[in-house]
Amino acid sequence: MTRVVLVPGALALLPAYASQVDPLPELRAAALAAVRWLGEVPGGVEVLADPQGERVADALLEAAAVRRGSGAYLVVGNGSAKRSEKAPGHLDERSSAFDDALRSALVAGDLGGVDWSLAGDLWAAVDGIRRAADVIAGPARVDLDDDPYGVQYWVMRWGA
Amino acid sequence: MTLRLGRHEFADDATIMMAIVNRTPDSFYDKGATWAEDKAFDRVAQVVDEGAEMVDIGGIKAAPGEEIDETEEKRRVVDFVARVRAAYPSLVISVDTWRASVGDAVCEAGADVLNDAWGGADPGLVDVAAKHDVALICTHTGGAVPRTRPYRVEYDDVVRSAIDDTTAYAERALAAGVARESLVIDPAHDFGKNTFHSLEITRRLDEMVATGWPVLVSLSNKDFVGESLDLPVGERLTGTLAATAVCALAGARIYRVHEVVETRQVVDMVNTIAGRRLPARAIRGLQ
Repeated sequence: MTRVVLVPGALALLPAYASQVDPLPELRAAALAAVRWLGEVPGGVEVLADPQGERVADALLEAAAVRRGSGAYLVVGNGSAKRSEKAPGHLDERSSAFDDALRSALVAGDLGGVDWSLAGDLWAAVDGIRRAADVIAGPARVDLDDDPYGVQYWVMRWGA
Repeated sequence: MTLRLGRHEFADDATIMMAIVNRTPDSFYDKGATWAEDKAFDRVAQVVDEGAEMVDIGGIKAAPGEEIDETEEKRRVVDFVARVRAAYPSLVISVDTWRASVGDAVCEAGADVLNDAWGGADPGLVDVAAKHDVALICTHTGGAVPRTRPYRVEYDDVVRSAIDDTTAYAERALAAGVARESLVIDPAHDFGKNTFHSLEITRRLDEMVATGWPVLVSLSNKDFVGESLDLPVGERLTGTLAATAVCALAGARIYRVHEVVETRQVVDMVNTIAGRRLPARAIRGLQ
């Protein structure tokens, strides 16, 4: 089975936005570990992401010493950025249900039933995820499921 | 340039808070608050707690006043240095003295730095610094005699004078055997200078930094701040911090201060703006 990894497009993962104290240490560690796992596949990694997500992917690939190519997939995307009063997009109470549905679909490896219509309203970055619909299959291993700043992050793996 | 202050080394991008600790009954700012040795020791504990990497212990106030001979100066500082050394092994200890004999005694007691605030008045101080392998602060006073106030002093170019004198002093110390990485230059605001001189030194501090020698600034609550803002001692913190920001932007490395916390925040903020220091923890808009 093709290896696929999902990571969120948090710009804090970029070296240009580094701090003395990493504000996302768990996410960075989980994302790098998953990308290294992709790097075990011969042929390199294809990125599925929006333009900002492409930059996050490049940063993670470089940090993990994994090259681009074709053989595995790195998907960059995340759930709603409106999950709390302090979230970037403030609280939108529809976020939880949207993210729950998206999480269930991702974990099941079947995105066919997802209603994408609210993604824009909820500031969810789903371009890469939608493009991954045909490459993920079967149950996901969930490495990280968290929303530390009101943005829903997942690090998930598919394949063996 | 990597900086070595006695036992302690600092990376190229490190800035250092040098907290003033007076063992004097009459210094202008604290007016004897730390004259008693235990009070001075409490002050050391406080500034260490506030994050100071270095203390500058002085036994004689800079301004004219009662004559303090060498014996009395030693009595005020030598045992105190030993006590601080024993209690704070990782703290950089500087002693503000122009006398070679006092320098020798405090180095025996554990000092790391000799802060020659009077710019080489005693020519033997460089030999003492070399003998003990300690750092030396080379200041500019325009030739002023220790413990005198400036009177109708003028310069063709005060910054040129400060650069020429301090770098010449540093070269002299180097020739005497002081390590290159242990030499620091200080334009010495208000020493042999009127307010206009100190303002110009501040405005053009980048020219001193461009010499490549690490630059120390001593701005804290001084008269050039007071005269600029028409404020007495005790109300000069904001002005001091403004001058500090200008010097930090120019690239000063060591800050001789009364207020450690406030100065550290200003220096860190300016260096972060300048792109020399990462933000502590930035997530706004980057989630």
